[in-house]
Amino acid sequence: MTNDSPYHRLAPAAPPTRREFLWSSGGGLGGLALAAMLGRDRALAAPAAGAPAPRAKRVVQFFMAGAASHLDLFDYKPELVKRDGQPSDFGEPVEAFQNGLGPWLRPLWDFRPHGGCGKLLSEVVAPLGEVVDELAFVHNMTGKSGVHSAATLLQATGFQLPGFPGAGSWVSYGLGSLNDNLPTFVVLPDHRGFPSNGVKNWDAAFLPAQHSGTLVYPDAEAPIADLHPHRAGGYVTSAGEADAHRLLAELNRGHAATREGDQRLDARIRTYELAARMQLAAPEALDLKAEPEHVLRLYGLDRGPQTWPKEINAAEETWHFGRKCLAARRLLERGVRFVQVWSGNDNSFPRRNWDSHEDVRRDHGPLALGMARGAAAFIQDLRQRGLLEDTLILWTTEFGRMPSTQGGKGRDHNPFVFTNWLCGGGIRGGITRGESDAFGYKPLDRANPTTVYDIHATLLHQLGLDHTRLTFRHNGIDRRLTDVHGRVLRELLA
Amino acid sequence: MLSRPAPAPRFFPRGLRWLGAALLSLVAAGAAPDFEREVQPLLAAHCLKCHGPEKQKGGYRVDVKAIALTGGEGSAPNLLPGNAAGSPLFRYVSGADPDLRMPPAGEPPLAPAEVAVLRAWIDAGAPWPDHASATLADPLDWWSLKPVTRVTPPPGAPHPVDAFIRARLATAGLRPAAPADRRTLIRRLSFDLTGLPPSPEEIAAFVADPAPDAYARLVDRLLASPRHGERWARHWLDVVHYGDTHGYDKDKPRPNAWPYRDYVIRAFNADKPYARFVQEQIAGDVLFPDSPEAVEALGFIAAGPWDFIGHAEVPETKIDGKLARHLDRDNMVANAIGTFASATVHCAQCHQHKFDPIPQEDYYRLQAVFAALDRTDRPYHRDPAVHARARRLEAERAENVAALVALEAPWRAAAGPALAALDRSLTEASVRTPNVRRGYHSATAATADTVKWVQVDLGASVEIDRIWLLPASDPFNGIGDGFGFPVRFKVEVSDDPEFRTGVKLAWIRYDVTFMADFPNPGLTPFSTGGGKDDGLAGRHVRVTATRLAPRKDDYIFALAELKVTDRAGNNVALGKPVTAVDSIESGERWAKANLTDGLAPSGPGAEEKAALSARREELLLAAADAAGRERRAALLAAAERLGSEVAALPKPDLVYAGGIHRGTGTFTGTGASGGKPRPIHLLARGQVTHPGRLVVPGALSALTFTPAIFDLPADAPEGERRAALARWLTDPRHPFTWRSIVNRVWQYHFGRGLVETPDDFGRNGGQPSHPELLDWLAAEFRDGGGSLKALHRLIVTSETYRQASAGDPAGAAIDAGNGLLWRQNRRRLEAEAVRDAVLAASGRLDLAMGGPGWRDFVVERPEHSPHYVYAKADPEDPATFRRSIYRFIVRSQTQPWMTALDCADPSMRVDRRSESLSPLQALALLNNGFILTQARHFAARVTAEAPDLAGQVARAHALAVGRAPSAPEAARLGEFARVHGLPALCRVLLNLNEFLFID
Repeated sequence: MTNDSPYHRLAPAAPPTRREFLWSSGGGLGGLALAAMLGRDRALAAPAAGAPAPRAKRVVQFFMAGAASHLDLFDYKPELVKRDGQPSDFGEPVEAFQNGLGPWLRPLWDFRPHGGCGKLLSEVVAPLGEVVDELAFVHNMTGKSGVHSAATLLQATGFQLPGFPGAGSWVSYGLGSLNDNLPTFVVLPDHRGFPSNGVKNWDAAFLPAQHSGTLVYPDAEAPIADLHPHRAGGYVTSAGEADAHRLLAELNRGHAATREGDQRLDARIRTYELAARMQLAAPEALDLKAEPEHVLRLYGLDRGPQTWPKEINAAEETWHFGRKCLAARRLLERGVRFVQVWSGNDNSFPRRNWDSHEDVRRDHGPLALGMARGAAAFIQDLRQRGLLEDTLILWTTEFGRMPSTQGGKGRDHNPFVFTNWLCGGGIRGGITRGESDAFGYKPLDRANPTTVYDIHATLLHQLGLDHTRLTFRHNGIDRRLTDVHGRVLRELLA
Repeated sequence: MLSRPAPAPRFFPRGLRWLGAALLSLVAAGAAPDFEREVQPLLAAHCLKCHGPEKQKGGYRVDVKAIALTGGEGSAPNLLPGNAAGSPLFRYVSGADPDLRMPPAGEPPLAPAEVAVLRAWIDAGAPWPDHASATLADPLDWWSLKPVTRVTPPPGAPHPVDAFIRARLATAGLRPAAPADRRTLIRRLSFDLTGLPPSPEEIAAFVADPAPDAYARLVDRLLASPRHGERWARHWLDVVHYGDTHGYDKDKPRPNAWPYRDYVIRAFNADKPYARFVQEQIAGDVLFPDSPEAVEALGFIAAGPWDFIGHAEVPETKIDGKLARHLDRDNMVANAIGTFASATVHCAQCHQHKFDPIPQEDYYRLQAVFAALDRTDRPYHRDPAVHARARRLEAERAENVAALVALEAPWRAAAGPALAALDRSLTEASVRTPNVRRGYHSATAATADTVKWVQVDLGASVEIDRIWLLPASDPFNGIGDGFGFPVRFKVEVSDDPEFRTGVKLAWIRYDVTFMADFPNPGLTPFSTGGGKDDGLAGRHVRVTATRLAPRKDDYIFALAELKVTDRAGNNVALGKPVTAVDSIESGERWAKANLTDGLAPSGPGAEEKAALSARREELLLAAADAAGRERRAALLAAAERLGSEVAALPKPDLVYAGGIHRGTGTFTGTGASGGKPRPIHLLARGQVTHPGRLVVPGALSALTFTPAIFDLPADAPEGERRAALARWLTDPRHPFTWRSIVNRVWQYHFGRGLVETPDDFGRNGGQPSHPELLDWLAAEFRDGGGSLKALHRLIVTSETYRQASAGDPAGAAIDAGNGLLWRQNRRRLEAEAVRDAVLAASGRLDLAMGGPGWRDFVVERPEHSPHYVYAKADPEDPATFRRSIYRFIVRSQTQPWMTALDCADPSMRVDRRSESLSPLQALALLNNGFILTQARHFAARVTAEAPDLAGQVARAHALAVGRAPSAPEAARLGEFARVHGLPALCRVLLNLNEFLFID
């Protein structure tokens, strides 16, 4: 069988990308290696015939780690209100993650209609009502595993095993950078730590390393690793720094002059120039203090950091999530291609993620309100800047939660159905496509659920990439973000 | 592009669709429809798009007769000639199958008339003329499937490697480059063979060495260096994706992974024959039972990531648990076959391999090889003498048991069914229900001497007879019974819920539990009370732990149940509210309410067991004569002696390896069945919910040098399966194994393999640039005893290896990519080599070998999900100045600095490092604490080694790049050092291209 993907056409054999090929060949190819390093050459050198016209230039992915309950936030189920407290009956044996499913449990908050579309939203995500006419809901998402690690990897990378590139890495590989002075793919982790699998959700895996998500901590002293000299380098002075760069360039140029034709050597010289520029560009991009009062107010950030209570609380969640959203907007505005924003860290105690086995109200309440305030402000902010049109937003989580209790006040994992919503970037707002059943237990049409492959296919489509052609050969397989699946969800498109 | 078999010609007229009354009447008349005129067009119209030359969904295609009639993974065969109703294909297209409908949603279904044609055709025996079938290229006609053939090197060069390379260059009109100068050569060779730079003194000596064998001696010296094994072990660990944590969720450390890493280093240093190296890693325990090393080698099987939650929290009976174990075996199979055979068998998990002749069945046969295994800590004795003694005792014990069984056999027969019944009762008495609704679990504490309490409110003041503490059980960290049972504690009663007034101590055993450490009771209930005379009464019963139970790097207090019995023996605490200083309240397992839910794991009643045993003894010995009794007593005494000798052995060492896991709770492994392999089914589309037929252990059926199904009895111990795989892999006739390893070694010496895809010798991989050379090397290596050091020597002594790397326009015009090796390739140092070279330059490199990995991170929150925080590590910690091979490798939080330098990702198999360049990498080399710290040490070193600044600058330059600076360079460097200091200069030197690249 031939591999006729245009992504492979230029490569003699694996490693198959043109970019890698250029590295290893190391000479005689003009400035291509340099361009490749800068990420300016799209993996697809010239758009293939039939490639979709891009509607979006950049992506934001909100990821709720621990599994956010569709039932208590976005997917209203009157049947559960009616049957609250009655013994649950799923009509079939259910293998729950922790066993022992209890009675039906009504949504923990009331739902009210919002916007022109009248979408019912839970009180705890009511701030999203401001922008609900921009959102397209998919309530029939289905996963493959009820285990956090595998399920998180599936939503983040399209595979249940570690060792596959994050969606942002694929986008970086496919489209390259919009701004050489900032990373292409930025990850804003929860301030409390990483989700399940840690960096495996966003690293480049077998793609070249420059496509890894770059961790950015907007509020940290060192927002990007090694952006500035470590404290061990007290001997580094700002005057010395400029001289050091000059000396380094000079010596490296001398070295390269006697080794003609090796583009890597020149490219590496250039990385130091870019590094110096990033040292200026990144702090500027992350300087949230530069935002005017009304913007800070929009995000709920006008009252400054405080000392927070020990218990999980909405004010603290709003602060942290809002900061990430605002940082995301500033980064996107400056040409970052893909920003991934995490809410919630790994599975730890006390709960600081969405894995509400014990108490949905206690944990989902503050997390959801903080998320909704930040996300709503972010969408409004993009809209008023004209950025929403070509910025695709995806809200996701690893799976849903069960419509029954698991004995107490919590809900167990529900890998069978959960909710995503999308927004901006050519998505049609104010719609719901794909329903869950009356209890929010499984998709209404069990034979035709929506999967992460469909979401990713749609995301790439909006960026002008055909998900079946964005491939990279690794260990014998032309790997894709969408594996061998995926359907562009045209019903969601404007 | 590689030549690949051309797609089958498209021969169906597209879109032809015809039907009608005439046809229906024909069908009704019972005439078999004409295949080419009637059937083929409708298959083409409806099926070919997904089941034809372009796609073969489900491994099925309708244009090739053989595949159409017999293929289609999940439901093969799809066509049953003569039986339309039973043919899956017909069921799918006719709508008879509720689960699967073809064509899929969104495509027009077959018209009733078309369905009728198909039915009639199948019922008529599905006649299909051979000429109406597409033909496929012979899948077996592929270079790597053919036997290794030893070709005589062509004439023209004394060194066989050069002979092959030059012959090919000559046909392309290329000439080899000039030899590299000695300075370049020693730097190249030192990094290649040891991963470290040569010292300026070593360089000078080599450059000045007039002896004709100077280079040969250098090669020998470097190959003999212990640094050699460290260097090549790193390459090997890339391929097998070794790590020191599990990965996935809660990424827990693997404290016992490192013995495998050390094994690899030792194996390379000792030049262990390759066949033995392979065999030990697959089945060392079986094939070399006397060697402790052969147990360590099994770390190979466990090297990759492991889904802790999918195993430890989800039982094998659940779908998610099955999935986790399926994926775990998948990883073992992919690792074994990818590493040793360069085959991508893992691609045949869901369907037949799309490019190579690997049916799905082969893949599942390989899963069957590993079906009994889990990743687990395996006990062994590192000391070979102790290992041997332990094995001898084990054997003696087995003999002893066998003798006893033989002796008792006639008595047993005489005792009849009554004895069997007693045995059953004894078994039942030993069986218990583990971790039933576990109980109360305090929050964790960092120290044992943290006070924790839990109390129950009886609702009213009660006269208490006894208070019972029922221990909990939890498999966490292998603890099991007695989980969280406090080491020191007291039991008190009061009417005051705050226990400020009227506190009465339940005095019995106070000294035992409060003044001294109480040994873990297992599941034996602990009880205390006031005794009838003392009249212990109160409303609240509180248990206070003053020394907590160790868990894993932390301490807890847990109890399954707190019972309080009144004088009538009623449990008055049942269902009563519980309060505690803290509680983890984790799901349904650990909750305060579980302390009084009446559920606790039950242990065997000791008295009951003793009585049963006595009766059994009596019954068994009824038929025994005096001599027999005496013999039995002697055997039992011997058993006891053996038992104490075993107990007196040193504590076993542990290696994290593939093995039989003997677990409790959710992650039981196959230990309970004595390591019986799990049944392995062929899974339709790779789905654990769709198990098909059972498969037996075997290997790749396309290789015919030996049968693909292992010749093993059905009840052979699991180890025999692995031994068979090991023998299969190391068979001298194996077409993959020998080529695979020589290609890998070649790649690390030239930056590219003779086959560019070291892990894939299939059609999706590369073809050898020099097939004869590859085969010659493979044969030479295999027939010479599999000596890797001999292979290194052979390669690095070639002129091809020793030529300069400088480009040349004439050569570049013909072969810009240097695929034919008309020059050596300039290579960037890998992350580990950069780091080690920095330490070598700074003079702080600590060459201590082996043992647990050093850590350049701080662990936070180890109790649940360890956070490995690199930013908080102290770059001045001398423990981190060791070689990079000994780094503790975390999967979920990879070392950011190493990752920026393209370090291998321990979560996936890496057959070749990528070589990226980015501003983030530049920042890492400029600003990371490691570089800045070592630059300072580097400066201090040269300050001590040279008297003046000029000398110091020259020395630093020589240490960094292996040559003295030119006069203008010296001037420029000196000026910078004068203004900004030596540390700042050393930092610049460590960022030079000349430092990072080897010519």
